[in-house]
Amino acid sequence: MALEITDNNFEETVINQDKVAVLDFWADWCGPCKVIAPFIEELAQEYDGKAVIGKVNVDDNGGVAIKYGIRNIPTVLFIKDGKVVDKQVGAASKSVLEEKLKSHL
Amino acid sequence: MANQSLITLQELHHFDHLSLMAKQVVEGFIIGLHKSPFHGFSVEFAEHRLYNPGESVRNVDWKVYGRTDRMYVKKFEEETNLRCQIVVDASSSMYYPENAGAKGEAPINKIRFAAVSAASLMYMLRMQRDAFGLSLFSDQLEQHTQARSTRIHYQLMLQYLQDRINEPHLNKPTQAADSLHLIADRLHRRSLVIIFSDMLDQAMTSGSSEKLDDLFSALQHLKYNKHEVILFHVVDKKHELDFAFDNRPYVFVDMETGEKVRLQSNQVKKQYLEHMQAFKKTLELRCAQYKIDFVEADIHQDFKQILQPYLVKRGKLY
Repeated sequence: MALEITDNNFEETVINQDKVAVLDFWADWCGPCKVIAPFIEELAQEYDGKAVIGKVNVDDNGGVAIKYGIRNIPTVLFIKDGKVVDKQVGAASKSVLEEKLKSHL
Repeated sequence: MANQSLITLQELHHFDHLSLMAKQVVEGFIIGLHKSPFHGFSVEFAEHRLYNPGESVRNVDWKVYGRTDRMYVKKFEEETNLRCQIVVDASSSMYYPENAGAKGEAPINKIRFAAVSAASLMYMLRMQRDAFGLSLFSDQLEQHTQARSTRIHYQLMLQYLQDRINEPHLNKPTQAADSLHLIADRLHRRSLVIIFSDMLDQAMTSGSSEKLDDLFSALQHLKYNKHEVILFHVVDKKHELDFAFDNRPYVFVDMETGEKVRLQSNQVKKQYLEHMQAFKKTLELRCAQYKIDFVEADIHQDFKQILQPYLVKRGKLY
């Protein structure tokens, strides 16, 4: 199950750890976000222990979204050592997301 | 498969308009052969983006505005089953035979054949809502367009091809390697790359193995980027492969450099055929090595030789 990332637990779960983090910025009224949600869940299961896979609801956690200048959703950020190393804006297939994740593992 | 006869070259001569030719070629071919071309859809809702003041409100998602009090714009992505990049060699050697259409001569030369083939493929792709782009090269990459599937894009591509037929580029050598590397770099998504060329590249004709390796490494670059590649080797078989000239003195002119040689055709026929066979064999072998589909396309045959390998390849892809 993908982690629920909030403004409060963001530092601790994403920044203060040494794995690659994959953050899916979404909102419940956004159709394309629903398209990629299952892919994120699958990746969370398949890469359990190898990467941190989380979801950020932009309506409830404006702080994280503003920090990364998220203007489009869905946006998936790939964060390594506190820095954004890759980004996927808009709905994409699982293979695209997985390929990006693999390249940073 | 329907046994419809395709439009003949003589009939084609009556048409001057590429789009009409493409339609004629394809419609003669697909009757009974094609399943419904209309599958998939052309656009897909891909993301929401924050509305910027001043922007058109046409795509604002009003339902979301009602729920959240914030304005978001819906962004759509062109959805397609297949992306196809058609690469046409527009170097001077492609304008052979130079006197095409003159009295007693077939009304077609290599560039015209390649252009009609490319236009026919585009027509077919467009019918299937597939996206296509066009690249033209000679000694450099002269034109490169991204793949799209709209009608306006199709017409623009036909115009580019028509311009090439109408305005021969003289003394333009072929340097395929650099152009193919550039194309490989510019294609970001996995595509089907269809190349029309006589492969009379400087690398091929010079016989230098280093230059030859450059050319093949460019083809390999395309394969490495996970593109599928079909190479149509466009030839005037009668003259270029079989060297069927009458036994009398001829002046042979290199179309890319303008160099002239006076020869009695029978004197050189043997060496020419040997050299050409070796050249073709190298091409075939290397293409097989890189899993590139190599198809010989004789400009005096009909267009089935182009459309059929494309459909076979496409059938394998999806």
